[in-house]
Amino acid sequence: MIEIKDLKKSYNGVTVVNVPHLEIKQGESVGLVGNNGAGKTTLFRTILDLIRPDSGEVLLNGENVAGHENWKNYTASYLDEGFLIDYLTPEEYFYFIGGLHQFNRAHVDDYLSGMADFFNGEILKKGKYIRDLSKGNQCKVGVVSCLLQNPELLMLDEPFANIDPSTQFRLKSLLKDLNKMKGVTTLVSSHDLNHITDVCDRILLMEKGKIIKDIATNSSTLNELEEYFGVGQIIGTATALRE
Amino acid sequence: MTTTFLRHELKAFWRSKNTGKSIAIRVVMVFMILYLLLCVLAMGFFLNEILEKTFPHDDVVVSFCGIILLYFLVDLFMRLQLQELPTLRVQPYLQLPVKRNSLVRYLALTALFSVFNLWPFILFVPFIVRIVASDSGSLAALAFVVSIAGLTAFNNYFALYLKRKSNLNGWIFLVAAGLIVLVGLGDFYWHFYSIRNISFLFFGHLINHPALALVPVGIGVVMYYLNFAYLRKNLYLEELGSRKAGKYKSSTEYPLLNRFGSVGDLAANELKLILRNKRSRSALIMGLFFLFYGLIFYTNHHYGEGWKIFVGMFMTGIFIISYGQFMYSWQASHFDGLLVSKINFSDFLKAKYLLFTIVSTGFFLLTTPYVYFGWRVLLIHFVMFLWNIGVNTTMVLFFANRNYRRIDLSKGAAFNWEGVSGNQWILSLPLVITPYIIYGPLAFFGHANLAVAILCIIGILFLVTRSFWIKQLEADFYTKRYTIAEGFRNK
Repeated sequence: MIEIKDLKKSYNGVTVVNVPHLEIKQGESVGLVGNNGAGKTTLFRTILDLIRPDSGEVLLNGENVAGHENWKNYTASYLDEGFLIDYLTPEEYFYFIGGLHQFNRAHVDDYLSGMADFFNGEILKKGKYIRDLSKGNQCKVGVVSCLLQNPELLMLDEPFANIDPSTQFRLKSLLKDLNKMKGVTTLVSSHDLNHITDVCDRILLMEKGKIIKDIATNSSTLNELEEYFGVGQIIGTATALRE
Repeated sequence: MTTTFLRHELKAFWRSKNTGKSIAIRVVMVFMILYLLLCVLAMGFFLNEILEKTFPHDDVVVSFCGIILLYFLVDLFMRLQLQELPTLRVQPYLQLPVKRNSLVRYLALTALFSVFNLWPFILFVPFIVRIVASDSGSLAALAFVVSIAGLTAFNNYFALYLKRKSNLNGWIFLVAAGLIVLVGLGDFYWHFYSIRNISFLFFGHLINHPALALVPVGIGVVMYYLNFAYLRKNLYLEELGSRKAGKYKSSTEYPLLNRFGSVGDLAANELKLILRNKRSRSALIMGLFFLFYGLIFYTNHHYGEGWKIFVGMFMTGIFIISYGQFMYSWQASHFDGLLVSKINFSDFLKAKYLLFTIVSTGFFLLTTPYVYFGWRVLLIHFVMFLWNIGVNTTMVLFFANRNYRRIDLSKGAAFNWEGVSGNQWILSLPLVITPYIIYGPLAFFGHANLAVAILCIIGILFLVTRSFWIKQLEADFYTKRYTIAEGFRNK
């Protein structure tokens, strides 16, 4: 699905992304973790052809994203509020996004009615423009607009950051569902290690632009990550016992 | 504190992505200002002789007193269009231990650093020193200078106040500008009253009663405090941002645009952008203000047909110029979203063409009453309308590919102004000059009709070859898209 070759991007001599090789197969669910400045968002942006890499290329389904637009047909992404047209009402935005994929309004309405739980009565028919919604609710709009597109590849940058606990759990089950039932390839970044290890089968750990760990999730993954991130902390009892 | 703010603003200027472009614009501005300054200086020194020539039957001091108020009326009108509002990104300072008054004082004080505040002194002081001081003594001369300072301060803060207000509501600008034009017409066209007599009434008495100088100073001070109070009152996040608990926002549809498929959808979105954001809405409403231009130019026989080309282009194409100036920047906040969604860029461009065509057609229809000044006026308007939707739209989109500056529509307008100011007009210079390159030489040799015909043909030619230009613009865009997207991410 995704293949990255010799990807490099630096700003003023500081390398922010340096990925010699990465392959993500159809149907994988991949989590991206790393401290601030590790290069997660830059990597996302290069995959989405928003940033021109200094060298290397990103292939989606074997086709270079730069210079081609076919990938837009099966890729849906939400990185930040900059992806939303904020002077539209959520409904107008969903119709617009649906329209781009030739879905008629009835289809969109139908889909949205299935999302009532996820919206928790906060989004539709509230008489607000997207810019008047809170960050968490904007995130809901962004995520649902992705799902609406019925993608084969879904990319979300820190989707858990601004949403309330209930929505976090709903989003987790949504993501699992998409991946397991519909075979959607998901690439999600997060700072919440519990969520990410719960949702993803494979974890990529980034540091200073490099992918330093590539782990298939198992019962000890969470501890392994906590050990990495817990600088100067007393590591959890589970780790201590095993040693 | 004021110096700290100044330093921060300077840093913001130098560290912005667009420093190069801003400097280039400023250099051009500085040269134009220097040139104007020299002209005004010369006028100031020869004001005595000029007045004697213009009003041969009047005493020179009488005519001098007569023109002062007239000058300030014109001054106000020009300020409304050209003076820049001082800006400061206030939000980061609001929660810090910085006094609100010092924030406002900074804005109020920097407002004085405008060349507009120099003109009246350069123009009038030489005359006051040469004539008034020697005729009526230095006390009277001082009274004149003080009055002029007061009126300058009044105009300065009044214009800024009106501009700030009209940022929130474009109609205020329109009404103010309309009123000034009406006051002018009342004197020179309808002869209800004479501004010169009113002006003399005050300044004539000033010679004998220097204490009267306190009146203009008084209104200047009052205006300053009005401005100060207004700014202070608006230093709340609610007014700065858009997060206001307003009335229910309903979804809208434009059935007319639905016919155009995905291009229509994009155009509908942009129409919503214009109507739902204060700043873009003001740009549209201020476009209506230019519909007055005909009244100014067509009622006066001094202006030849060359001016009709200019006026016709402005009246039918002002939206293309003023809104198109900042093209793509309006969409800066969601540009990434547009780039990754399934939008064909040529559709995106077609939507812009569609939008410009619709709005310009509207403006053209609004100018049709000018047929009162002859059918030829309407003909020229129509030719310039074709030119606008043919040539100017393409030029504007060409420049749009080179614009990397983010506009944050969500920010309140009162402290964030990139609308009508001198700098903006520099950018539109190429748009204004091009038709004259064709019209000027031909009209000079007496082939005005031929020139109009050629303008018309070129306009139609560009209209017919639109798809070709769209392809060129699209190819051009793909070489610049990363730079544009990066500039728009840069807050």
